[in-house]
Amino acid sequence: MKQDETLKIVIVGHVDHGKSTLIGRLFYDTGSIPETRYQEIAATCRAQGREFEYAYLMDALEEERDQNITIDTASTFFKTEKRPYVIIDAPGHKQFLKNMITGASSADAAILLVDGVEGVREQTKRHAYVLSLLGIRQVVVTINKLDMVGYDQKVFRSVENDIRAFLHSVDIVPSYVIPISARDGENMATRHGGTPWYTGPTVLEALDTFENVRADSNLPLRLPVQDVYKWDGKRIYAGRVETGSVAKGDEVIFLPSGKITRVKSVEKWQCPDLPSARAGECIGITTEDELFVERGEIIAHRANAPVRTRELRASIFWLADQPFKAGKTYTLKLATSEVQATVLAIEERLDSSSLEVTERFAVELLPTEVGNVLLSLKGDIAADVFSENIRVGRFVVEDGTMIGGGGIIRSFADNSGESAQRINLSDQFIAGDEGNLIDLTGKRGSIDFDVTVSFLDTLVKGNRILFKLRDPSQIEPVALMAYEHHLNFTFSRAKDQVNLILFKDDIVRTVDEVHGL
Amino acid sequence: MYDHLDELEAQSIYIFREAYRKFENLAMLYSIGKDSTTMIHLARKAFFGKIPFPLVHIDTTYKYPEMIEYRDRMAREWGADLIVGRNEEAIKEGMSPEAGRLVCCGKLKTDGLTKVIEENEFHGLFLGIRRDEEGSRAKERVFSPRDKNFEWAYKDQPPELWDQFNTNFEAGTHIRVHPILHWTELNIWEYIQREGIEICPLYFAKEGKRFRSLGCMPCTKPINSDAATVQEIIDELKVINTPERAGRAQDQENAYAMQKLRAKGYM
Repeated sequence: MKQDETLKIVIVGHVDHGKSTLIGRLFYDTGSIPETRYQEIAATCRAQGREFEYAYLMDALEEERDQNITIDTASTFFKTEKRPYVIIDAPGHKQFLKNMITGASSADAAILLVDGVEGVREQTKRHAYVLSLLGIRQVVVTINKLDMVGYDQKVFRSVENDIRAFLHSVDIVPSYVIPISARDGENMATRHGGTPWYTGPTVLEALDTFENVRADSNLPLRLPVQDVYKWDGKRIYAGRVETGSVAKGDEVIFLPSGKITRVKSVEKWQCPDLPSARAGECIGITTEDELFVERGEIIAHRANAPVRTRELRASIFWLADQPFKAGKTYTLKLATSEVQATVLAIEERLDSSSLEVTERFAVELLPTEVGNVLLSLKGDIAADVFSENIRVGRFVVEDGTMIGGGGIIRSFADNSGESAQRINLSDQFIAGDEGNLIDLTGKRGSIDFDVTVSFLDTLVKGNRILFKLRDPSQIEPVALMAYEHHLNFTFSRAKDQVNLILFKDDIVRTVDEVHGL
Repeated sequence: MYDHLDELEAQSIYIFREAYRKFENLAMLYSIGKDSTTMIHLARKAFFGKIPFPLVHIDTTYKYPEMIEYRDRMAREWGADLIVGRNEEAIKEGMSPEAGRLVCCGKLKTDGLTKVIEENEFHGLFLGIRRDEEGSRAKERVFSPRDKNFEWAYKDQPPELWDQFNTNFEAGTHIRVHPILHWTELNIWEYIQREGIEICPLYFAKEGKRFRSLGCMPCTKPINSDAATVQEIIDELKVINTPERAGRAQDQENAYAMQKLRAKGYM
């Protein structure tokens, strides 16, 4: 790993479990507090008649210092010998959950702080669940204030068991669980001997093992169109490669429109003749065909394109003051697409601190609540499920003019979602002694066809083509394709098989004639 | 090889393109400093060499002559549309830090800016602030809404998840967009080095002094330094243990000076 790779860590946990002290300790132990800053805070504290307050490093607002709470998320910076860090402080109070999530959504890793004396509390669990929903997988748990119980190993083990059990239920396996005292500095940067029974890393050593979470180049290409610039005689589709990579000459599909073309050039200022671009890069592409494509479409390779969907199941976490309501229509924003989404049902309403289902088919979600919902979209969008592609499997919901909550796609509820496979008819076409064949029995979910000139030519010459179907649900897309290209068809049933015959002819043949194929 | 500067750059470009697509009438605040000069370079990357919105400089008349010379030369070189805004009324009345630094900043900068925005009907403004500069900036959103009076509701900011920004606002809302909010001072200099960006000469040491942060003459003091090249500045920043804005007198007026100024529309 390079030395200057910054790691963004969010620090979460129940209010008063010691976040500010822990942050202050990280700064202090790494020598990251500028002397003048230290003096400025000391002077403010003296004026208030208090001891030195580490929290003031983050809690810079007057209201935060007067009321001794963290209102909004803030970022500060410290360095270890290995690399620089950005610390994202997240407010612990429930009413500031939207600020906590705002901060946490950009983190690479998290420190989840639990008070060793008080144990796992409501916000500990809620924050852990939020980490899981945000897709943060690198988590270190610190069990704090152990100095107050004489570094008793039994106390530590008991809290460790509780938190591990809860994290397991939200699919998080903590990388480390570390006994600490943020106040004394035990196991923060160094070991002071309070916990001889603990053999794992210190907090700083643990953090140094984490990795910067980058956009993944190994996943299939997802390049959402952010804007289209018509400059200097070029039509440039500008966007950021969310995952995968794209190269000059690649055949690509725009979804949901389904338009197919080739990449003519990959564009970046002052970089002529760029051969390719990879995940994380902001680029533009031009295409061989002049297409009329809008912001919101996703550019992908045809073999592993995202799903085109209109109905989806998602987990939503709600942050706005007014409730999220079943039956209401909201704007859903996913990557660069925006679509109206109606809440068909709030199938499960969860208590975000216990994860218990509190209600089935609920009428609404209140702020800070989580629900599993079914959404119907007014138009098609391209997306993936969250478990397969975090970056185009998550979305926000706009309520009125502001973002009201976030969600992750669990599954696609309409058939279109399960695969929405595009089938190139020329690629699938088999011409053999027994006639011409397209075999669709291996294709699950809904299908869509790329009709090619050579395929149509075969039909125009009077040939018939047998389609072997998986089940009757595949009749509709074939019929639709036949209708669009002025073709005729007939279908038959042989035991469990559904066969369909496509032909270009004005004469309607009987089923018996077709059997003589 | 994709490194941390590439990542920072890509994030900034993404923000620029979002804002440009979502808002009709935008401008970029240009303070002549290293941050806003870097921001312009990033804008040119985002828009394939163009700067498709005007630059606005708020001139308090207390700027160093080197800054004005550099500003005009660079604007010509970039082919940028430069608007210079002044609060002429306050300048005529002789506004100066003697009236109190916060009053002076409020009159010459905040009010000067408000006027330019109103006259040109800008819906939004790009600003080159960074979270590591100062406490209240650390709390900022990337897309930060301001009400009709340009006031910042810092106690109740909208959520901003992943790279989904708030882009639909009630009529009368003014939006501040912060494309380099996530950069640090060191990142900026490393990027200036890598990209070969020309920076105002006041940043480079002469006779043992250089400016680390540029502002008005009465309120900005140089630091002791022999760093005369970008590389020397980078080396210096790696060991320095004073805050970047220590030379900016208005920050030191009051523990919450910047919060108070910014809540009313200061940059």
